[in-house]
Amino acid sequence: MQNKNARLAAVLATALALALVGSSPAHAHHSFAAQYDASKPITLTGKVTKVEWTNPHVYVYVDVRDDKSGEVVNWALEIGGGPNSLIRQGWTRDSLKADDVINVEGSLARDGSRLASAQSIVLAATGKKVFAAPIPTETRDASR
Amino acid sequence: MGARSKIGVLALAPLAVLLGATGSPHCAHAQWWDNVPRKIPLTAKGEPDLAAPAPRTKDGHPDLSGIWNPHTNKYLRNIAADIKPEDVPFQPWAKKVADERADGSHSREDPDANCLPQGVPRIGAAPAPWKIVQTPDLIVVVHEAFSLWRQIFLDGRELAANANPTWLGYSTGRWDGNTLVVDTRGFNGKTWLDQVGKPTTEKLHVTERYTRKDFGHMDLEITIDDPGAYTRPWTVKQDLTLLPDTELLEFICNENNRDLEHLPGKPLQ
Repeated sequence: MQNKNARLAAVLATALALALVGSSPAHAHHSFAAQYDASKPITLTGKVTKVEWTNPHVYVYVDVRDDKSGEVVNWALEIGGGPNSLIRQGWTRDSLKADDVINVEGSLARDGSRLASAQSIVLAATGKKVFAAPIPTETRDASR
Repeated sequence: MGARSKIGVLALAPLAVLLGATGSPHCAHAQWWDNVPRKIPLTAKGEPDLAAPAPRTKDGHPDLSGIWNPHTNKYLRNIAADIKPEDVPFQPWAKKVADERADGSHSREDPDANCLPQGVPRIGAAPAPWKIVQTPDLIVVVHEAFSLWRQIFLDGRELAANANPTWLGYSTGRWDGNTLVVDTRGFNGKTWLDQVGKPTTEKLHVTERYTRKDFGHMDLEITIDDPGAYTRPWTVKQDLTLLPDTELLEFICNENNRDLEHLPGKPLQ
């Protein structure tokens, strides 16, 4: 499965992840660094199958087709914020809907599941960003 | 609802969406149509003047009322982010626990990740705003994070020796000049001081000193005195910013906590 994931994932340079870094009220209740590996960026393109507009974090599910095998695999995307932080940024529960085709840049989950933290979601039809959620800055100052 | 306010809100909506891609303007438009800022000093441009003098109550004390927010997740992540690691006076067992947790390998055991209360002072550093409601004898802090609340009694009462241990403790307050001093005891010893995992015990005594510097900014000095885990009291400083144009929203953490199964560590006992 990990190989399949690797085929589906066009892994970008770490520099891209660093370029996406910014400040955001994200990942309130669990450690980003424990769940995701910021050094493993991933890009995905697919059709949204479900949006869970729920606390503590919004989740988006997307069907991604493997160009080589044609197999469709469903990925889960964690949005850095919950509904409240997204509402304060002007988004609504209807900002992203099932059947929307999106391009995603994110960080892979450390546990090998088909899960990523989405730092950038772009609507393929319009080129507009939705729910932008940069990698939280605290992952870079974890000195203790 | 006045037609003018609706039109104004609608006109701002695209701007809010635009800003949403790059920043956090904290618009309250999605909740209350007539969320008109009240008692907020304005600049010549008509924007909230966060540098205006701090307000005072009728009895002369600083008025800390308002919705406050940490800037980032910095202190949620590491309460000691601004001090040297060696200046955290761990007892040996606490150092061992903190070192084991620090690489994230026990993150599933963090009460916060389980949607349990963050404890004090961590709840104030969580990236969700909280509201101070101030009366002469009682200050109530309403936390958006997990929809929790604290009561800070200023009426001179003292905590009973056999108070039942709790997640957020029991708080009393007093004024020291322009500073509100809050003492909190009666904790259950289950909370982590931060995400990297500094432990607490039931002996924890937290002293918070809140000083509203101006209308939009508050200094917070926190002293951790936990003789069960640390060799001496130690102090850190944080700062808070007023959010003048938003309101608290419900935040029920256990609504759909999908993260837990992906975090390393054992299920919380």
